[in-house]
Amino acid sequence: MNDIGEFTLLIALATAIYGCVAYIMAARGNRIDLYLSADKTPLIVWGCVMISSICLWRAFLTNDFSLQYVWAYSNIELDTFYKFASFWGGQKGSLLFWTLLLTTYTVVVHFQNRKKNLRVVPYAMAVLLTIIIFFLCLVNFSTNPFERIPLPPEDGRGLNPLLQNYWMVIHPPTLYLGYVGFTVPFAFAVAALISKNLDDGWIRLTRKWTLISWFFLCMGNLFGASWAYVELGWGGYWAWDPVENAAFMPLLIATAFLHSVMIQEKKDMMKVWNMSLILLTFVMTIFGTFITRSGLIQSVHTFDEATLGYYFLAFLFVILFSCTALIISRLPLLKSKNQLDSFLSRESGFLFNNLLLLGIAFATFWGTIFPIISEAVRGIKITVGPPFYNQVNVPIGLALLALVGIGPVIAWRRATLSNLKKNFFRPLAVAFITAVALFPVIPLGSRVENYTYIAFILCAFVMTCILSEFYKGTASRMGLHDESMFGALTTVTWRNKRRYGGYIVHIGVVLIFAGIAGSQAYGTHVEKHLKPGEKFEIRGYSITYEKLVAIEATSVKTRVIAQLDVKRNGSHYWTARPEKEFYKGQNQPVSEVDVLSTWREDLYMILADFRDDESATIKVYVNPMVSWMWTGGWIIAFGTMISMWPDRLEQRRRLERFRREESLFPSPAQE
Amino acid sequence: MKQKKVRFLVGSLLIVGAIGYLITMGISNTSQYFFTVDELLSQKISYAGAGLKVKGNVVNGSIQRDPNDYLDVKFLIEEKESSLKVTYQGVTPDMFADGREVVVEGTLGRDGVFHANTLLTSCPSKYEAEKEAGKMHPGSLSTDKYKEPGLKKTDALPKTTI
Repeated sequence: MNDIGEFTLLIALATAIYGCVAYIMAARGNRIDLYLSADKTPLIVWGCVMISSICLWRAFLTNDFSLQYVWAYSNIELDTFYKFASFWGGQKGSLLFWTLLLTTYTVVVHFQNRKKNLRVVPYAMAVLLTIIIFFLCLVNFSTNPFERIPLPPEDGRGLNPLLQNYWMVIHPPTLYLGYVGFTVPFAFAVAALISKNLDDGWIRLTRKWTLISWFFLCMGNLFGASWAYVELGWGGYWAWDPVENAAFMPLLIATAFLHSVMIQEKKDMMKVWNMSLILLTFVMTIFGTFITRSGLIQSVHTFDEATLGYYFLAFLFVILFSCTALIISRLPLLKSKNQLDSFLSRESGFLFNNLLLLGIAFATFWGTIFPIISEAVRGIKITVGPPFYNQVNVPIGLALLALVGIGPVIAWRRATLSNLKKNFFRPLAVAFITAVALFPVIPLGSRVENYTYIAFILCAFVMTCILSEFYKGTASRMGLHDESMFGALTTVTWRNKRRYGGYIVHIGVVLIFAGIAGSQAYGTHVEKHLKPGEKFEIRGYSITYEKLVAIEATSVKTRVIAQLDVKRNGSHYWTARPEKEFYKGQNQPVSEVDVLSTWREDLYMILADFRDDESATIKVYVNPMVSWMWTGGWIIAFGTMISMWPDRLEQRRRLERFRREESLFPSPAQE
Repeated sequence: MKQKKVRFLVGSLLIVGAIGYLITMGISNTSQYFFTVDELLSQKISYAGAGLKVKGNVVNGSIQRDPNDYLDVKFLIEEKESSLKVTYQGVTPDMFADGREVVVEGTLGRDGVFHANTLLTSCPSKYEAEKEAGKMHPGSLSTDKYKEPGLKKTDALPKTTI
């Protein structure tokens, strides 16, 4: 089986190379015969990679430790669930997994588009195949997951206990789905450039892909944050670690792209800008992979092999230079037909939104690579940590939050004074009331506290802006039709999925901002070394350390559990059981925290250490409003679903468009 | 038409400038020098008092905990035969043990003792990598390296179920 897995990877590579060349030649020479032959390659490549992946999964599930990769990331005792997930537990498997996702996407794109846009699609397929070739070269020649061990050992080394969490099954695939997804809009953008079809066709064709990738990237980031929160046991969810930044930067740029394409669709402007943004998004996903795989920047996520990173770096520069050259050579064709009219307009709102998003992305990028730059320039490594990112990104983020409110409400082209008055009176009034109401209640003075105060006021402002948009739509529908309020709200949303779906996403964003602000400013924590029976206080909770117990949970896992009784206002509130797990074959224990989460605050307990006399070190965090973030995440997911939902009206419009194009460029199927 | 363009350009430049200012200020206010132990000790200028980040390996047997205050930890870190005394207040990470590579953040006192306010251990996957780099073939695993040091502690505890 392992031989099959190895062999199919080689066939996949050969087929991809042939397909790539054939697509290009077919497009250049208008050769339908070659196109028809190239047309079969995506499916073959996908099939081969799929077979290879199944072989690797089989090796994990049947404990085939003759594979070095399986030996390194699994053992006999591992849960089947985690054996399945060990596939992407290390370098080699994760690259194969990436290839699998990329080829899967490519096949879907292929079936969606094979009979359309014959001028653009072959080039897009060629670009996708080129990227597949890069990854296939890596898994074939550099990080082959089918590498054997001459004398197969009895048992494997096991999966790192930190990774044995259900998020391991969810978070990496989600993030990869997002990362890999941006390859599709990128490929179509490049294809549009090469074939000189520079209207917004490529944007419309890939709108769903952009949204889906954005959605997965966004969820991947949030899932990563919740994983860190429950697993790493330091009471936080985001540390501005280089790898977190690597996933965050493409998200920011993609968000900018999502917004600015609307300008191109509506106004036929910002063409170069959109091209650059999608190029940058894709480059950032490669850069992120480079950071993770090179070990060049110290991070908690670093993979082991250092050389691999440089393949990504080289690939990154090739893409960057060739695409920049391509954009420059097409500059005359990318001229905008329209111009911005006024500062006070939605268009300029989009422009500033883009600048701010890119600002955050750049600050994050600069902070991430600063150690390398300072070492190269001054010979001394200088690092920046969370204080830097907070100091820089918080003010920019707040300005962005304000735009979330202003943007959707302000008029297109040019806002008049009466228009501004009408639209912003209510939100400003609510913001003012919030400011006055919060002033006596919340602590002010330090920088963080002041920012948080501003953040809450802005949240109230933005929320009112969005809700009044919903109100306006609902009210006008109720005026015209005899519908209940809920019915009208649903119809309005359903009829304008893109617009109202976007607003729902914005509501989620506001909640996330509020959650971050609350938890960053008002959190507190205490560390105590306690003997059984001793107690301490934190934020009105009285916590008594009761006892320590050890359980042999399975033959490989021993759990040591501390039991604590939490009282609030004198009555029993919660029994906390934070624990430490000791895995056979692993050198360090894993802390399992216990969290009681309410909408107000999280009570977060860690068993930090314990000794033979049953005394234990307990660390307790009180983190306000963390659950707001997760709720915001689900709302974003819901909003994205709505705006992605197939729209019959739009489909009909698109179908007509394709018919028109097909009459000009007959598809091979009709010939 | 021209005027509008200029206005947008100025507006955008203002935003870009503000962001640039924030970044520059952020870097100068919060940056830390990052040295390995031997690099720090071979520096000609004294870095006493400045914000520092230092990387080194924990010297075997050097970890001392105050018997009265468990959270008070003293240990030595070394790199290429230079070593540095470190004090730290707080819970140590799960992976903190003899021989591990750690990164401490804090300040260097005039007495040559490093007062750490953050203690980071390098990540587990990196640790695995070091073992691999030690050219340990899976066929010849020495068992004592794979023993679980933590498990001894649990034997002393009552075995019950909750």
